[in-house]
Amino acid sequence: MGVDPIRYRPWKGERTALNLRVYVILKSIFRHGLKSIGVKILLILSFLFVYAFGFMDVILFGSETLDAEKMSSNFNAFNLTLFAMLLAAVITSDLISEDLSSRSFVLYFSRAIKTRDYLVGKAGGAILIMSLLCFLPPVLLAVVSILTQSGSDYWSSIKVLGSTMVAGALAAVFFVPYGLMLSSITNRRSYAAVGTFMSFMVLTIISEMFVEIDPAWSVIGPARSLSAAVDWIFGLPSDIDGGALFAFLALFIIVPAVVLYWRVQRKAVGR
Amino acid sequence: MTSAVDDVDPRMPVGESAPEDGPPRVGSCPLSARDLTVSFGPVIALDGFSVDIPRGIVGLLGPNGAGKSTFIKASLGLLTPENGAVFVGGLDTRTQSLQIRDGVGYMPEHDCLVASMNAVELVSYFGMISGMLARDSIQRGHEVLDFVGIGEERYRQIRSYSTGMKQKVKLAQAIVHDPPLLFLDEPTSGMDPKGREEMLELVRMIGSSDKTVLLSSHILQEVESVCDHVVIISDGKLVQEGETKALIAGEEGVQSLTIRGDEGGMTRFVRILGEACEIVEAKEEGGKQMSLLIRGCGDGSQIFGLARDSGVQIRRYHPERLDLEEVYLRSFRGGGKDGS
Ligand SMILES: Nc1ncnc2c1ncn2[C@@H]1O[C@H](COP(=O)(O)OP(=O)(O)OP(=O)(O)O)[C@@H](O)[C@H]1O
Ligand SMILES: [Mg+2]
Repeated sequence: MGVDPIRYRPWKGERTALNLRVYVILKSIFRHGLKSIGVKILLILSFLFVYAFGFMDVILFGSETLDAEKMSSNFNAFNLTLFAMLLAAVITSDLISEDLSSRSFVLYFSRAIKTRDYLVGKAGGAILIMSLLCFLPPVLLAVVSILTQSGSDYWSSIKVLGSTMVAGALAAVFFVPYGLMLSSITNRRSYAAVGTFMSFMVLTIISEMFVEIDPAWSVIGPARSLSAAVDWIFGLPSDIDGGALFAFLALFIIVPAVVLYWRVQRKAVGR
Repeated sequence: MTSAVDDVDPRMPVGESAPEDGPPRVGSCPLSARDLTVSFGPVIALDGFSVDIPRGIVGLLGPNGAGKSTFIKASLGLLTPENGAVFVGGLDTRTQSLQIRDGVGYMPEHDCLVASMNAVELVSYFGMISGMLARDSIQRGHEVLDFVGIGEERYRQIRSYSTGMKQKVKLAQAIVHDPPLLFLDEPTSGMDPKGREEMLELVRMIGSSDKTVLLSSHILQEVESVCDHVVIISDGKLVQEGETKALIAGEEGVQSLTIRGDEGGMTRFVRILGEACEIVEAKEEGGKQMSLLIRGCGDGSQIFGLARDSGVQIRRYHPERLDLEEVYLRSFRGGGKDGS
């Protein structure tokens, strides 16, 4: 297996603009994720357990208009949260930990990639996969419902479709920063995956335990707070205090994102 | 330090060699450092390091911990200097590192390959991150893997590769986008002699296609055999630099002389020789023999005359020629061959 006698050949092709490179990372993660058997199984199971009933309902019985209450319950927040926790743990766990353990960080950052681009690419890829669970099916459900509706009040249906999109997007984003943060803290994929799932699980258990004593505890349970957030987006009443809910969501998305940025930034400079 | 070269294309380092008189202008070299200081906590890795790297294959030579890798990382803008600056193709690493990185290739010294990918995936993926279109980068990925000599194994996961194959894939990912400036940090590390020779041959081939290659190593023979120019660094400071040929050739006018005789004769000879010309260095070799470096002694007939008069024998007399090892050792003795 000697060196081939071919000479070094220069390459004179076009390069894409700097800000397009983040899509390379995003696309690669999305493709890679979809190739994984585990992700496929989770997506199929989640569809059965979260949305199948809603689809059957719409197709078999139809409705006069798409109403907020029904759509909110179609989100099936408890089942959705369970599957979203699992899927997020599976797909985010190796996104950064693998680059840490293989030290391939440096191959990214010796190229024209900023920390921000790297993270947007990684998180974007993960959010795109999460959308297949949290965004695409409910939106599809809403669209099918509008197309088959018997009433003529399309305007109110479209408003509900808009809320569906916002709620779906929130659910798709919600679990990713935390998962990525854990992935950036350890360089073992399994720790990150188990850690992500267990953190959500523990929060759920704590909130379920204390909610009997004081309903305010429900805010720290991902399922309860996501459900409340979905209700809020659909303009429905909820038993969780709006301010506390907002603070919790922000905390769950923003704090991990900041820690993540700081970790990667530190690793990206060669210190 | 200011530079008025903002519109220089990083992919085209302007490479005219430095003007003969005066210090080279910043931006006239593919890579130059000015007073570069980088430290890690209490450890000063680079200590006021200044150098101008010309085009061609340049060896960055120094012992472990000398600051070679630190210099490379600073040139990529991965480390922020406490003081001083590095300019790559006239661009400042402190403010233009993204532009710079688009025009360089980097082969790190340590393992950096994603074990779960195969070589084609890895090389073309990083080609795309360097801005190549998918189609181009796959085609070019195969081309550079052919070039470095990775065959059908390219479809296997990298975790199954030997160290030598990994080194070749590391090189492949550094050249996939055909950068005009290449940093190779100890490219032969961990390779067997045959693999080393192959790697060096690859470096030669890359260098012959009008690129600048900065190759860090602590193996002298390697640097001597492939590099046109050598930069010796130690303790974060520049110790010596120059064309390999010139360093090895020794200083013009300096002759190497070996004499043999009894102690008294040799002492006498050295004393009168010192009156006739300049003795750069004198080393005794086991009492009966001495080797000297001398300058300005004419064509040599005078020396043979003096030797006859003092009763010593001339064993060797020729213009000084060193190997790189000698240059290297001398530069660490503090006295370079110019005796400073
Ligand atoms: N990340 C770091 N943290 C702390 N000290 C560091 C770090 N990187 C390098 N150093 C120190 O800086 C000095 C120069 O290191 P550098 O890696 O540049 O040496 P080198 O010439 O590449 O050596 P080698 O031949 O062993 O690769 C060393 O003393 C090293 O211990
Ligand atoms: Mg090193």
